[in-house]
Amino acid sequence: MRVTDLTLGLLTLLGGIAIYISAIEFQAIPGQAYGAGTMPRAVALVTGLTGLFMIVRAVMEGERLPGLNLADWTKSPAAIARLVSVLVLIVAYIVLSPRLGFLPTAFAVMTIGMLILRVRWWLAMIVALVAAIAIQQSFGRLLLVPLPRSDFLSFLW
Amino acid sequence: MPTVIDAAQLVFQPYVLLVIFCSAAFGMFVGAIPGLTATMATALLVPVTFFMDPVPAIATIVTATAMAIFAGDIPGTMLRMPGTPASAAYVQDAYALTKQGRPEAALGASLVFSSIGGIFGTLVLITASPVLAEIALKFSSFEYFWLVVLGLSCAVFISPGSPARGLVALFIGLFAATIGLENPAGAPRYTMGSVELMGGVQFIPAMIGLFAVSEVIRTFIKRGAEVRPPATPGKGIFRQQAKNLVTYPVQALRGSAMGTAIGALPGAGADIAAWISFAISKKFSKTPEKFGTGHVEGLVEAGASNNAAMSGAWIPALVFGIPGDSITAIVIGVLYIKGINPGPMVFITQPQMIYAVFIVFLLANLIMLPLGWLAIKGARQVLSIPQKVLMPVILMFCMVGSFAINNSAFGIGIMLVFGVIGFLMEENDIPIAPAILGLVLGPMLEQNFVTSMIKSDGSFIAFFERPIAAGLGLFTIAVWMIPLLLLLMRRRPPAGVSEP
Repeated sequence: MRVTDLTLGLLTLLGGIAIYISAIEFQAIPGQAYGAGTMPRAVALVTGLTGLFMIVRAVMEGERLPGLNLADWTKSPAAIARLVSVLVLIVAYIVLSPRLGFLPTAFAVMTIGMLILRVRWWLAMIVALVAAIAIQQSFGRLLLVPLPRSDFLSFLW
Repeated sequence: MPTVIDAAQLVFQPYVLLVIFCSAAFGMFVGAIPGLTATMATALLVPVTFFMDPVPAIATIVTATAMAIFAGDIPGTMLRMPGTPASAAYVQDAYALTKQGRPEAALGASLVFSSIGGIFGTLVLITASPVLAEIALKFSSFEYFWLVVLGLSCAVFISPGSPARGLVALFIGLFAATIGLENPAGAPRYTMGSVELMGGVQFIPAMIGLFAVSEVIRTFIKRGAEVRPPATPGKGIFRQQAKNLVTYPVQALRGSAMGTAIGALPGAGADIAAWISFAISKKFSKTPEKFGTGHVEGLVEAGASNNAAMSGAWIPALVFGIPGDSITAIVIGVLYIKGINPGPMVFITQPQMIYAVFIVFLLANLIMLPLGWLAIKGARQVLSIPQKVLMPVILMFCMVGSFAINNSAFGIGIMLVFGVIGFLMEENDIPIAPAILGLVLGPMLEQNFVTSMIKSDGSFIAFFERPIAAGLGLFTIAVWMIPLLLLLMRRRPPAGVSEP
């Protein structure tokens, strides 16, 4: 899924313009000409110039229309589903771990992840269980990271 | 000499040596886990040091941080996930060596040259610390501005692919760095009403997302089909390095010297030292085209540089009480608690303490060799696990590591967003490294830029009025102009040849 130089140049130029416009309202330090908007405006300026440079170079090299070259995996619905599954697993952990606790959620997320990658179910469950306990013990106990607890498993903390 | 003997007596005690060994193992553990940094290792150790005497307390921190900086190379080499930001500069080359089935070549170079860099930095710390710190103290916002711009420029030019795409990556990082309240006016920027975003984009979750989650996504898309590099025997880790030392003595020396000098500058630590040294290595290399493809030259120079910077950062910390980086900032707090007030007077009132610190530094960098060898041997087992089993576990490590930064699920959210951004960037041949450096150095760049503009009343000439600033500025401009001039010269047809 690779955008062409001309497309990237246009996106960069638009990004620079958007940053500049959004930075107009940022306050200056009282009594000074500079402040919160100085850096975003400077970034916007050089971003826009880079975008322009990329557009000019792409046009000089013969590109006429913005384009997008699709990678092979984008033609496979299963591959796209697997991509989405990673994002869903992360969101599921964020949402569920405070409710269910770290161990059950981590076990479920890792097991499902491995099943998606076609690891045998029994191996996936064993690895997920061992890894969840190892992570809980190393982070939760050794490094004192307050991982979400499950009431029925609090003896592990 | 009696002072040195007193210092040695303070260090060479069974208790202190045991503390050094345990903190080395702890540093290895923390550094090897992506998301846990050397700074975090220091912060976690501070409560433990409360129960110790001054020398073991300092030994704990020095050893753990030196180990963590090296150990950060282990996941970087084996999984393309730098354990600490200081390893990010050369992760491309290190991982490429693993893909070629030669992880020990990368890890051995990291280990040996980390140790060499650390020892070099310590020797400079011992002999020349007052002089170097004095130079660093002369730096004002103008010099810092140019130093940051130089670091960012290097990041663009060392990145694989076109510099234009490198610039796009840099602007993504710089833009992300503008988010939050941390700006000269203290005004919220791009926070969208989120209280947590007011603290800015957390660097560690962003780095985990850009480097690690993007890799997990790729593996899921390919269903773990990517060819796993074979686990080769780990023999010859040190033998290969003897050859590297003969082939790249200048690089090792230059990396060590540059790392020490950069580390001595307040605010510039191991991260920027590694980036600049890697760029210098590529610039002066006879085979720059090999960089990024599993070439050990840049690894030698940058690996020596980041550990040398660790020692260098202690120069202004000990001599003037000014932290060289975030780790020494914590250390200064510990020193005060222990009744040692860092500054010129400590060399007169408690010289044995200072020499004890020097001895600990040397010990930490020497013990790194056997312990690092053990860590490499153990870590190599990671490669024998199939990726389809490993990646979901790594994803969980990433989430827990991101959570651990602020003990908040917000870090996982940041990781997710930057994971997607990193994936899209790599799909489009936009290098990730400049974005990381933009994110890290953005606040420093802004602070020094705005301060300089206010001081100079908007005049850019002031950026060249001070001699060191002028030198750094001209050097930075040269870094930009020389590739452009070379490009123009290549395009211009030779004399006597007419255009078709």
